[in-house]
Amino acid sequence: MARYGMLIDTKKCVGCYACRIACQMINGLPSDEAFIKFYEEEQGSYPNVYAENVPVQCMHCEDAPCQTVCPTTATYTTDSGVVLVDEKKCIGCKYCMAACPYNARVQLHPSGVVEKCRFCWYEGEPGNPPACVGTCISGARIFGDLDDPESEICKEIARTNAQPLAGDLTRAKIYYVR
Amino acid sequence: MVWGPMIAWYLFLAGASAGAFITAAFVARKYPDSVKMRVAGRLIAPVFMAIGLLLLMLDAEAGMHDPLRFVYLVLNPGSVMTLGVYFICIYMPVCLIAAILEIRKTPVPGWLDWIGIISAFCVAAYTGFLLGVVHAYPLWNNAILPILFVISALSAGLAATSLIGLITDRERFEQMWLVKKSHVILSAIEAIVLFTMLVIVNSGSPEGAASVHSLIAGQYAPLFWGGLVILGLIAPFMIEGYPVFITKKPETSTTSLVVSIIGESGVLIGGFVLRLLIVLAALPVAFL
Repeated sequence: MARYGMLIDTKKCVGCYACRIACQMINGLPSDEAFIKFYEEEQGSYPNVYAENVPVQCMHCEDAPCQTVCPTTATYTTDSGVVLVDEKKCIGCKYCMAACPYNARVQLHPSGVVEKCRFCWYEGEPGNPPACVGTCISGARIFGDLDDPESEICKEIARTNAQPLAGDLTRAKIYYVR
Repeated sequence: MVWGPMIAWYLFLAGASAGAFITAAFVARKYPDSVKMRVAGRLIAPVFMAIGLLLLMLDAEAGMHDPLRFVYLVLNPGSVMTLGVYFICIYMPVCLIAAILEIRKTPVPGWLDWIGIISAFCVAAYTGFLLGVVHAYPLWNNAILPILFVISALSAGLAATSLIGLITDRERFEQMWLVKKSHVILSAIEAIVLFTMLVIVNSGSPEGAASVHSLIAGQYAPLFWGGLVILGLIAPFMIEGYPVFITKKPETSTTSLVVSIIGESGVLIGGFVLRLLIVLAALPVAFL
């Protein structure tokens, strides 16, 4: 079974927000709700400074704290490691929003359901590739199977020594080149 | 902030309800003649809990659109929220039955009382663990918070019940030294536990330190010092402690009645403010 993950290369990201808009389009989100949030980090030291664009979305953690706290089991993980929300079970208690250390969860309106990035999961499979990856103009995103050493994502993670965003905060499956 | 005043109200009402039930059971054993105060506690318990649960459901937007979904709440025993639902499923009917028995002037059987006391304690404790297990917020994620919430719950329940006792049956209330003493001691313990928690959270992480700073010297400082520390802890301690430890005789003057009412109300306001501040002032750990 595959174990899906993503690589985001912040050195290639130009901050055009195309991924966020593609995500909003495919998920039918209004302009003020998004599953991808952009953070701008000041890097380097004077005079060699630059602004680093860090797109953040659900990390599909292997030890997902949102799933642990979800009282209705609306949040679950597929066999292929994608963390999903069963919208018919969610009561909108927002416990998952509190538990997620990446602020990746969004309460949708008017349904009140709390949702997040689902790797464009439709009909039992993730997007091939997910919308954000397909639309990225600079090739900053790679999606694939973390358990397949021959996959493009595994080779890139090895080559660039990409790391999860926040060390051991959770066992995240989105890797970052920074 | 994920949760707001509505959840703070719920946390307060659930805690005060549990405290009121335990107070009523305590009064029933130690002061069987203090009927009014016991009945007050028995009635406050289900009313507060019911209002709290209503607020909790109103805050769960997706559940309000499709109320049958609330049934799913029992599905994940690994979630503290689900455990809370189990406790409430026992506590709510028990305190409702106890209230009905009390209204019909039938004695509440001892076994039912004990189930109520234990489940009330579990309800008060779970409100603390609910926040306590969330790693993302250092102000919540510590072992002291659940203890603080339980003590504050007992104190608030005792205050709500005492307030009614004070107004409806003052003569008898003034003789209940055990109740008054517990009240003073609870305020003192709550202050110590609160202090301990803030010191530990402050030293644990930069985000924890920032949360504590916003409470004691930042944007929440007026509410923290005025609503929680002075009105909720120091004033009740002094107002209740004066007759208990200094004069050692029952008060009869109208002035002392007014002052006592201020003291009891202060505990209630402090109980709510404590939860509001804990909910609002918590800052998440940084991930960047």
